[in-house]
Amino acid sequence: MNVRILVKLEIKPPFVVKPVYFEGLRKVGSPVLLANKYYEQGADEILYIDIVSSLYQRNIVFDIIKETADNLFIPFSVGGGVKTIEDFSELFHIGADKVVINTYAIQNNPNIINAAAKIFGKQAVVVNIEVKEWDHFYECYSDSGKIGTGKELFSWIKEVVDRGAGEILLQSIDRDGAKNGFDIELAKMVVDSVNIPVVISSGAGELKDIKELIEYAKPSGVAISSILHDNDHTIKEIKKYLSDNGIKVSK
Amino acid sequence: MSNIIGILNYGIAGNIRSIDMAIKKAGGTVKIINHRDDFIGISKLVIPGVGSFNDTIRELNKNNLFKILKEKINTIPTLGICLGMHILAKVGYEHGKSEGLNIFDSKVRLLNINSKIPHVGFNQIKVIKTNKLLYGLENEEFYFMHSYEFICDYSISSITNYCGYDIISSINKGNVYGVQFHPEKSKEQGIKLFKNFINL
Repeated sequence: MNVRILVKLEIKPPFVVKPVYFEGLRKVGSPVLLANKYYEQGADEILYIDIVSSLYQRNIVFDIIKETADNLFIPFSVGGGVKTIEDFSELFHIGADKVVINTYAIQNNPNIINAAAKIFGKQAVVVNIEVKEWDHFYECYSDSGKIGTGKELFSWIKEVVDRGAGEILLQSIDRDGAKNGFDIELAKMVVDSVNIPVVISSGAGELKDIKELIEYAKPSGVAISSILHDNDHTIKEIKKYLSDNGIKVSK
Repeated sequence: MSNIIGILNYGIAGNIRSIDMAIKKAGGTVKIINHRDDFIGISKLVIPGVGSFNDTIRELNKNNLFKILKEKINTIPTLGICLGMHILAKVGYEHGKSEGLNIFDSKVRLLNINSKIPHVGFNQIKVIKTNKLLYGLENEEFYFMHSYEFICDYSISSITNYCGYDIISSINKGNVYGVQFHPEKSKEQGIKLFKNFINL
Protein backbone atom coordinates (compact mmCIF):
# COMPACT_ATOMS: atom_id res chain seq x y z
CA MET A 1 0.00 0.00 0.00
CA ASN A 2 1.29 3.46 -0.90
CA VAL A 3 2.19 5.75 1.96
CA ARG A 4 0.21 8.97 1.68
CA ILE A 5 2.09 12.24 1.54
CA LEU A 6 -0.17 14.91 3.00
CA VAL A 7 0.33 18.63 3.23
CA LYS A 8 -0.67 20.29 6.49
CA LEU A 9 -1.90 23.85 6.13
CA GLU A 10 -2.25 25.64 9.45
CA ILE A 11 -4.65 28.51 9.05
CA LYS A 12 -5.10 31.76 10.88
CA PRO A 13 -7.82 33.16 8.63
CA PRO A 14 -7.30 34.38 6.01
CA PHE A 15 -3.70 33.13 5.88
CA VAL A 16 -1.67 29.96 6.03
CA VAL A 17 0.77 30.38 8.90
CA LYS A 18 3.53 28.21 10.31
CA PRO A 19 4.25 28.10 14.03
CA VAL A 20 7.31 26.50 15.59
CA TYR A 21 6.55 24.21 18.55
CA PHE A 22 2.95 25.48 18.14
CA GLU A 23 4.13 29.01 19.01
CA GLY A 24 4.61 32.16 16.95
CA LEU A 25 2.72 32.60 13.73
CA ARG A 26 4.76 33.22 10.63
CA LYS A 27 2.58 34.17 7.67
CA VAL A 28 3.15 31.87 4.69
CA GLY A 29 0.50 32.75 2.12
CA SER A 30 -2.98 32.18 0.79
CA PRO A 31 -4.74 28.87 1.52
CA VAL A 32 -6.26 28.74 -1.96
CA LEU A 33 -2.97 29.34 -3.78
CA LEU A 34 -0.90 27.07 -1.54
CA ALA A 35 -3.41 24.21 -1.66
CA ASN A 36 -3.36 24.45 -5.44
CA LYS A 37 0.42 24.64 -5.59
CA TYR A 38 0.78 21.47 -3.50
CA TYR A 39 -1.96 19.72 -5.46
CA GLU A 40 -0.04 20.48 -8.67
CA GLN A 41 3.13 19.14 -7.05
CA GLY A 42 1.44 15.78 -6.44
CA ALA A 43 0.20 15.94 -2.83
CA ASP A 44 -2.04 13.00 -1.93
CA GLU A 45 -4.19 14.97 0.47
CA ILE A 46 -4.54 18.45 1.93
CA LEU A 47 -5.08 18.97 5.65
CA TYR A 48 -6.58 22.35 6.47
CA ILE A 49 -6.52 23.20 10.15
CA ASP A 50 -7.70 26.52 11.54
CA ILE A 51 -5.39 26.81 14.54
CA VAL A 52 -7.03 29.83 16.15
CA SER A 53 -10.77 29.15 16.02
CA SER A 54 -10.90 26.92 19.12
CA LEU A 55 -8.39 29.00 21.02
CA TYR A 56 -10.10 32.33 20.35
CA GLN A 57 -13.57 30.76 20.24
CA ARG A 58 -14.15 32.06 16.75
CA ASN A 59 -16.58 30.71 14.23
CA ILE A 60 -15.38 28.48 11.42
CA VAL A 61 -14.62 30.59 8.34
CA PHE A 62 -16.52 28.53 5.79
CA ASP A 63 -16.01 30.71 2.72
CA ILE A 64 -12.21 30.31 2.67
CA ILE A 65 -12.60 26.56 3.14
CA LYS A 66 -15.05 26.39 0.27
CA GLU A 67 -12.78 28.38 -2.03
CA THR A 68 -9.82 26.18 -1.09
CA ALA A 69 -11.80 23.00 -1.79
CA ASP A 70 -12.77 24.04 -5.30
CA ASN A 71 -10.45 22.69 -7.97
CA LEU A 72 -8.71 20.34 -5.53
CA PHE A 73 -9.18 16.88 -6.98
CA ILE A 74 -7.62 15.13 -4.02
CA PRO A 75 -8.95 14.44 -0.51
CA PHE A 76 -9.43 17.51 1.62
CA SER A 77 -9.56 17.20 5.41
CA VAL A 78 -10.71 20.16 7.42
CA GLY A 79 -10.57 20.98 11.12
CA GLY A 80 -10.38 23.72 13.69
CA GLY A 81 -13.28 24.90 15.84
CA VAL A 82 -15.59 21.97 14.98
CA LYS A 83 -18.22 21.60 17.71
CA THR A 84 -21.44 20.26 16.28
CA ILE A 85 -22.85 17.73 13.83
CA GLU A 86 -24.06 20.75 11.84
CA ASP A 87 -20.40 21.87 11.53
CA PHE A 88 -19.50 18.43 10.15
CA SER A 89 -22.44 18.56 7.78
CA GLU A 90 -21.65 22.05 6.51
CA LEU A 91 -17.97 21.19 6.00
CA PHE A 92 -18.83 18.09 3.94
CA HIS A 93 -21.35 20.14 2.03
CA ILE A 94 -18.76 22.73 0.96
CA GLY A 95 -16.18 20.17 -0.10
CA ALA A 96 -14.44 18.55 2.86
CA ASP A 97 -14.00 14.79 2.61
CA LYS A 98 -13.00 14.30 6.21
CA VAL A 99 -13.47 16.45 9.27
CA VAL A 100 -10.70 16.76 11.84
CA ILE A 101 -11.59 17.24 15.48
CA ASN A 102 -9.65 17.70 18.71
CA THR A 103 -10.52 20.41 21.25
CA TYR A 104 -14.28 19.99 21.49
CA ALA A 105 -14.02 16.20 21.69
CA ILE A 106 -11.34 16.13 24.37
CA GLN A 107 -12.43 19.14 26.44
CA ASN A 108 -16.21 19.13 26.10
CA ASN A 109 -17.92 16.13 24.65
CA PRO A 110 -16.22 13.03 23.19
CA ASN A 111 -19.66 11.69 22.15
CA ILE A 112 -19.41 13.87 19.06
CA ILE A 113 -16.99 11.27 17.66
CA ASN A 114 -19.60 8.52 18.03
CA ALA A 115 -22.35 10.66 16.56
CA ALA A 116 -20.29 11.83 13.57
CA ALA A 117 -19.00 8.32 12.81
CA LYS A 118 -22.54 6.95 12.83
CA ILE A 119 -23.93 9.62 10.51
CA PHE A 120 -21.04 10.26 8.12
CA GLY A 121 -19.15 6.97 8.34
CA LYS A 122 -16.02 6.48 10.42
CA GLN A 123 -13.71 7.08 7.45
CA ALA A 124 -14.83 10.72 7.49
CA VAL A 125 -13.85 11.36 11.11
CA VAL A 126 -10.22 12.19 11.85
CA VAL A 127 -9.13 12.77 15.44
CA ASN A 128 -6.27 15.22 15.76
CA ILE A 129 -4.00 14.54 18.70
CA GLU A 130 -1.55 17.16 19.90
CA VAL A 131 0.89 15.54 22.28
CA LYS A 132 3.64 16.75 24.57
CA GLU A 133 6.06 14.56 26.47
CA TRP A 134 6.69 15.08 30.18
CA ASP A 135 9.41 12.62 31.22
CA HIS A 136 7.80 9.65 29.41
CA PHE A 137 4.28 10.79 30.20
CA TYR A 138 2.57 11.76 26.96
CA GLU A 139 -0.09 14.41 27.60
CA CYS A 140 -2.75 15.36 25.05
CA TYR A 141 -3.27 19.06 24.44
CA SER A 142 -6.13 21.08 23.00
CA ASP A 143 -6.50 24.49 21.36
CA SER A 144 -3.50 24.05 19.04
CA GLY A 145 -1.10 22.91 21.69
CA LYS A 146 -1.98 25.65 24.14
CA ILE A 147 -3.95 23.87 26.85
CA GLY A 148 -2.95 20.66 28.62
CA THR A 149 -5.85 18.30 29.16
CA GLY A 150 -4.23 15.94 31.66
CA LYS A 151 -5.29 13.04 29.41
CA GLU A 152 -2.71 10.36 28.78
CA LEU A 153 -2.06 9.71 25.10
CA PHE A 154 -2.68 5.97 24.84
CA SER A 155 -5.82 5.93 26.94
CA TRP A 156 -7.24 8.78 24.84
CA ILE A 157 -6.28 6.98 21.63
CA LYS A 158 -8.03 3.84 22.79
CA GLU A 159 -11.09 5.88 23.70
CA VAL A 160 -11.35 7.68 20.34
CA VAL A 161 -10.88 4.42 18.41
CA ASP A 162 -13.61 2.76 20.49
CA ARG A 163 -15.84 5.74 19.81
CA GLY A 164 -15.46 5.32 16.04
CA ALA A 165 -12.58 7.52 14.88
CA GLY A 166 -11.57 6.53 11.34
CA GLU A 167 -8.10 8.00 11.40
CA ILE A 168 -5.61 9.62 13.78
CA LEU A 169 -3.50 12.65 13.03
CA LEU A 170 -0.61 12.71 15.50
CA GLN A 171 1.14 16.02 16.03
CA SER A 172 4.04 16.46 18.42
CA ILE A 173 4.26 19.80 20.20
CA ASP A 174 7.90 19.03 21.00
CA ARG A 175 8.81 18.60 17.33
CA ASP A 176 6.43 20.60 15.16
CA GLY A 177 7.92 23.24 12.91
CA ALA A 178 11.47 22.67 14.14
CA LYS A 179 12.65 20.58 11.18
CA ASN A 180 14.73 18.39 13.51
CA GLY A 181 13.20 15.02 12.64
CA PHE A 182 10.16 13.05 13.83
CA ASP A 183 9.75 11.29 17.15
CA ILE A 184 9.85 7.92 15.44
CA GLU A 185 9.59 5.90 18.66
CA LEU A 186 6.37 7.66 19.60
CA ALA A 187 5.09 7.31 16.04
CA LYS A 188 5.70 3.57 16.06
CA MET A 189 4.01 3.11 19.42
CA VAL A 190 0.93 4.95 18.20
CA VAL A 191 0.76 3.18 14.81
CA ASP A 192 1.13 -0.23 16.49
CA SER A 193 -1.47 0.55 19.15
CA VAL A 194 -4.45 0.95 16.81
CA ASN A 195 -6.23 -0.79 13.93
CA ILE A 196 -7.08 2.43 12.08
CA PRO A 197 -4.83 4.53 9.82
CA VAL A 198 -2.42 6.93 11.53
CA VAL A 199 -0.94 10.03 9.91
CA ILE A 200 2.24 11.32 11.53
CA SER A 201 3.10 14.99 11.55
CA SER A 202 5.74 17.23 13.10
CA GLY A 203 9.42 17.05 12.38
CA ALA A 204 10.29 16.69 8.70
CA GLY A 205 13.55 18.54 8.14
CA GLU A 206 15.58 16.44 5.75
CA LEU A 207 14.28 13.90 3.28
CA LYS A 208 15.85 11.09 5.25
CA ASP A 209 13.71 12.01 8.27
CA ILE A 210 10.63 11.08 6.24
CA LYS A 211 12.21 7.87 4.96
CA GLU A 212 13.27 6.78 8.47
CA LEU A 213 9.84 7.52 9.87
CA ILE A 214 8.11 5.45 7.19
CA GLU A 215 10.56 2.54 7.43
CA TYR A 216 10.48 2.40 11.21
CA ALA A 217 6.94 3.33 12.20
CA LYS A 218 5.03 2.35 9.02
CA PRO A 219 2.38 5.06 9.27
CA SER A 220 -0.44 5.27 6.70
CA GLY A 221 0.57 8.83 5.93
CA VAL A 222 3.04 11.58 6.66
CA ALA A 223 1.96 15.20 6.98
CA ILE A 224 4.46 17.81 5.89
CA SER A 225 4.45 21.58 6.06
CA SER A 226 7.60 23.59 6.94
CA ILE A 227 9.97 22.12 4.35
CA LEU A 228 7.36 22.77 1.65
CA HIS A 229 6.50 26.29 2.81
CA ASP A 230 10.21 27.13 2.96
CA ASN A 231 10.70 25.70 -0.54
CA ASP A 232 13.40 23.34 0.77
CA HIS A 233 11.76 20.56 -1.24
CA THR A 234 8.76 19.94 -3.45
CA ILE A 235 6.33 17.04 -3.04
CA LYS A 236 7.69 15.68 -6.30
CA GLU A 237 11.21 15.60 -4.88
CA ILE A 238 10.02 13.97 -1.68
CA LYS A 239 8.15 11.28 -3.59
CA LYS A 240 11.04 10.63 -5.94
CA TYR A 241 13.44 10.29 -3.01
CA LEU A 242 11.12 7.87 -1.20
CA SER A 243 10.48 5.88 -4.35
CA ASP A 244 14.22 5.68 -5.09
CA ASN A 245 14.64 4.29 -1.59
CA GLY A 246 12.13 1.52 -2.15
CA ILE A 247 9.15 3.12 -0.41
CA LYS A 248 5.85 2.85 -2.26
CA VAL A 249 4.19 6.21 -2.91
CA SER A 250 1.54 7.21 -5.41
CA LYS A 251 2.54 9.09 -8.55
CA MET B 1 -29.04 14.75 -27.89
CA SER B 2 -28.53 16.47 -24.57
CA ASN B 3 -25.86 15.08 -22.32
CA ILE B 4 -26.81 16.22 -18.83
CA ILE B 5 -25.43 14.29 -15.92
CA GLY B 6 -27.67 14.11 -12.89
CA ILE B 7 -26.06 13.84 -9.47
CA LEU B 8 -28.35 12.36 -6.89
CA ASN B 9 -28.54 14.39 -3.69
CA TYR B 10 -30.14 12.02 -1.24
CA GLY B 11 -29.91 13.95 1.95
CA ILE B 12 -27.61 14.58 4.85
CA ALA B 13 -24.23 13.14 4.17
CA GLY B 14 -23.34 13.33 0.49
CA ASN B 15 -20.34 15.31 -0.64
CA ILE B 16 -21.85 16.13 -4.00
CA ARG B 17 -19.91 19.35 -4.52
CA SER B 18 -16.63 17.52 -5.23
CA ILE B 19 -18.33 15.36 -7.85
CA ASP B 20 -20.04 18.37 -9.37
CA MET B 21 -16.65 20.16 -9.66
CA ALA B 22 -14.91 17.10 -11.10
CA ILE B 23 -17.55 16.48 -13.79
CA LYS B 24 -17.45 20.14 -14.79
CA LYS B 25 -13.65 19.93 -14.95
CA ALA B 26 -14.10 16.92 -17.26
CA GLY B 27 -16.29 19.06 -19.52
CA GLY B 28 -19.68 17.77 -18.45
CA THR B 29 -22.97 19.51 -17.70
CA VAL B 30 -24.44 18.76 -14.31
CA LYS B 31 -27.90 18.83 -12.79
CA ILE B 32 -28.36 18.16 -9.09
CA ILE B 33 -31.29 15.89 -8.34
CA ASN B 34 -32.98 16.94 -5.12
CA HIS B 35 -36.46 15.72 -5.95
CA ARG B 36 -38.03 12.99 -8.09
CA ASP B 37 -39.12 15.55 -10.72
CA ASP B 38 -35.47 16.53 -11.22
CA PHE B 39 -34.82 13.24 -13.02
CA ILE B 40 -36.56 14.73 -16.07
CA GLY B 41 -34.11 15.70 -18.78
CA ILE B 42 -31.02 13.94 -17.54
CA SER B 43 -29.21 11.48 -19.80
CA LYS B 44 -26.82 9.97 -17.26
CA LEU B 45 -26.80 9.50 -13.52
CA VAL B 46 -24.15 9.59 -10.80
CA ILE B 47 -24.91 8.22 -7.35
CA PRO B 48 -22.43 9.65 -4.84
CA GLY B 49 -21.66 8.04 -1.57
CA VAL B 50 -20.74 9.25 1.84
CA GLY B 51 -22.52 7.93 4.91
CA SER B 52 -23.91 4.52 5.72
CA PHE B 53 -25.85 1.92 3.73
CA ASN B 54 -28.95 1.72 5.87
CA ASP B 55 -29.24 5.50 6.44
CA THR B 56 -29.03 6.03 2.68
CA ILE B 57 -31.68 3.45 1.84
CA ARG B 58 -33.91 4.95 4.54
CA GLU B 59 -33.45 8.46 3.07
CA LEU B 60 -34.30 7.15 -0.42
CA ASN B 61 -37.49 5.56 0.89
CA LYS B 62 -38.40 8.60 2.96
CA ASN B 63 -38.03 10.89 -0.07
CA ASN B 64 -39.94 8.50 -2.29
CA LEU B 65 -36.91 8.01 -4.54
CA PHE B 66 -36.24 4.28 -4.27
CA LYS B 67 -38.49 3.08 -7.11
CA ILE B 68 -37.80 5.89 -9.58
CA LEU B 69 -34.07 5.55 -8.94
CA LYS B 70 -34.23 1.87 -9.77
CA GLU B 71 -36.13 2.63 -12.97
CA LYS B 72 -33.57 5.24 -14.00
CA ILE B 73 -30.63 2.95 -13.30
CA ASN B 74 -32.20 0.40 -15.62
CA THR B 75 -32.64 2.91 -18.43
CA ILE B 76 -29.74 5.40 -18.46
CA PRO B 77 -25.96 5.02 -17.94
CA THR B 78 -25.32 5.13 -14.21
CA LEU B 79 -22.19 5.43 -12.10
CA GLY B 80 -22.28 4.58 -8.40
CA ILE B 81 -19.37 5.87 -6.34
CA CYS B 82 -18.31 4.12 -3.09
CA LEU B 83 -21.52 3.95 -1.05
CA GLY B 84 -23.32 4.83 -4.30
CA MET B 85 -21.92 1.55 -5.66
CA HIS B 86 -22.76 -0.31 -2.47
CA ILE B 87 -26.47 0.49 -2.58
CA LEU B 88 -26.65 -1.16 -6.03
CA ALA B 89 -26.28 -4.45 -4.14
CA LYS B 90 -29.05 -6.78 -3.14
CA VAL B 91 -28.29 -6.51 0.55
CA GLY B 92 -26.03 -4.55 2.88
CA TYR B 93 -24.77 -5.31 6.36
CA GLU B 94 -23.78 -1.87 7.67
CA HIS B 95 -25.36 -1.14 11.07
CA GLY B 96 -27.67 -4.15 10.58
CA LYS B 97 -29.13 -5.76 7.48
CA SER B 98 -30.90 -3.67 4.85
CA GLU B 99 -32.11 -4.29 1.33
CA GLY B 100 -30.38 -2.44 -1.47
CA LEU B 101 -31.50 -1.55 -4.99
CA ASN B 102 -30.79 -5.11 -6.13
CA ILE B 103 -29.20 -4.17 -9.47
CA PHE B 104 -26.39 -6.63 -8.79
CA ASP B 105 -26.79 -10.01 -7.11
CA SER B 106 -24.37 -9.07 -4.38
CA LYS B 107 -23.84 -8.03 -0.80
CA VAL B 108 -21.90 -5.42 1.12
CA ARG B 109 -20.08 -6.27 4.31
CA LEU B 110 -17.33 -4.99 6.58
CA LEU B 111 -13.86 -5.47 5.11
CA ASN B 112 -12.78 -8.90 6.24
CA ILE B 113 -9.07 -8.34 6.65
CA ASN B 114 -6.43 -8.42 9.29
CA SER B 115 -5.17 -4.90 8.69
CA LYS B 116 -6.05 -1.30 9.29
CA ILE B 117 -9.65 -0.33 8.51
CA PRO B 118 -10.73 1.91 6.82
CA HIS B 119 -8.70 1.31 3.68
CA VAL B 120 -7.52 4.86 2.92
CA GLY B 121 -5.21 6.13 0.22
CA PHE B 122 -4.21 5.88 -3.42
CA ASN B 123 -4.17 2.31 -4.63
CA GLN B 124 -3.85 0.66 -8.00
CA ILE B 125 -6.67 -1.02 -9.88
CA LYS B 126 -6.05 -4.27 -11.74
CA VAL B 127 -8.50 -4.65 -14.58
CA ILE B 128 -10.12 -8.09 -14.93
CA LYS B 129 -12.54 -7.16 -17.68
CA THR B 130 -12.18 -3.75 -19.19
CA ASN B 131 -15.02 -1.47 -20.18
CA LYS B 132 -15.57 1.99 -21.63
CA LEU B 133 -15.44 3.67 -18.23
CA LEU B 134 -11.96 2.31 -17.48
CA TYR B 135 -10.63 2.88 -20.98
CA GLY B 136 -7.03 4.15 -20.76
CA LEU B 137 -7.00 3.81 -16.98
CA GLU B 138 -6.07 0.14 -16.73
CA ASN B 139 -3.24 0.37 -14.19
CA GLU B 140 -3.96 3.72 -12.62
CA GLU B 141 -4.12 4.56 -8.94
CA PHE B 142 -7.32 5.89 -7.42
CA TYR B 143 -8.25 7.20 -3.99
CA PHE B 144 -9.99 4.74 -1.68
CA MET B 145 -11.70 5.57 1.60
CA HIS B 146 -13.94 2.79 2.87
CA SER B 147 -14.59 0.25 5.61
CA TYR B 148 -17.13 -1.88 3.73
CA GLU B 149 -16.68 -3.93 0.58
CA PHE B 150 -18.83 -5.07 -2.31
CA ILE B 151 -19.01 -8.85 -2.79
CA CYS B 152 -20.22 -10.46 -6.01
CA ASP B 153 -19.32 -13.37 -8.27
CA TYR B 154 -20.08 -11.74 -11.61
CA SER B 155 -19.74 -8.30 -13.20
CA ILE B 156 -16.31 -7.62 -11.70
CA SER B 157 -14.31 -5.12 -13.79
CA SER B 158 -11.30 -4.59 -11.54
CA ILE B 159 -9.80 -5.63 -8.26
CA THR B 160 -7.41 -3.84 -5.93
CA ASN B 161 -5.02 -5.37 -3.48
CA TYR B 162 -5.01 -4.05 0.07
CA CYS B 163 -2.51 -5.70 2.39
CA GLY B 164 -2.67 -9.01 0.55
CA TYR B 165 -6.43 -9.06 0.16
CA ASP B 166 -8.23 -8.45 -3.15
CA ILE B 167 -11.10 -6.00 -2.96
CA ILE B 168 -13.56 -5.56 -5.82
CA SER B 169 -12.71 -2.03 -6.96
CA SER B 170 -15.13 -1.68 -9.86
CA ILE B 171 -18.12 -3.43 -11.37
CA ASN B 172 -20.12 -3.20 -14.57
CA LYS B 173 -23.29 -4.69 -15.99
CA GLY B 174 -24.73 -3.19 -19.17
CA ASN B 175 -24.98 0.53 -18.62
CA VAL B 176 -24.46 0.37 -14.87
CA TYR B 177 -21.03 1.02 -13.41
CA GLY B 178 -19.82 1.08 -9.85
CA VAL B 179 -16.47 2.16 -8.43
CA GLN B 180 -15.29 1.55 -4.88
CA PHE B 181 -12.82 4.43 -5.13
CA HIS B 182 -13.47 8.16 -5.41
CA PRO B 183 -12.70 9.41 -8.94
CA GLU B 184 -13.55 12.96 -7.83
CA LYS B 185 -10.57 12.74 -5.45
CA SER B 186 -8.16 10.87 -7.71
CA LYS B 187 -6.20 13.61 -9.51
CA GLU B 188 -6.10 13.68 -13.34
CA GLN B 189 -6.95 9.99 -13.69
CA GLY B 190 -10.23 10.62 -11.87
CA ILE B 191 -11.11 13.44 -14.26
CA LYS B 192 -10.30 11.08 -17.15
CA LEU B 193 -12.76 8.54 -15.74
CA PHE B 194 -15.48 11.19 -15.70
CA LYS B 195 -14.57 12.09 -19.29
CA ASN B 196 -15.05 8.44 -20.20
CA PHE B 197 -18.42 8.48 -18.43
CA ILE B 198 -19.48 11.65 -20.25
CA ASN B 199 -18.52 10.00 -23.56
CA LEU B 200 -20.40 6.73 -22.95
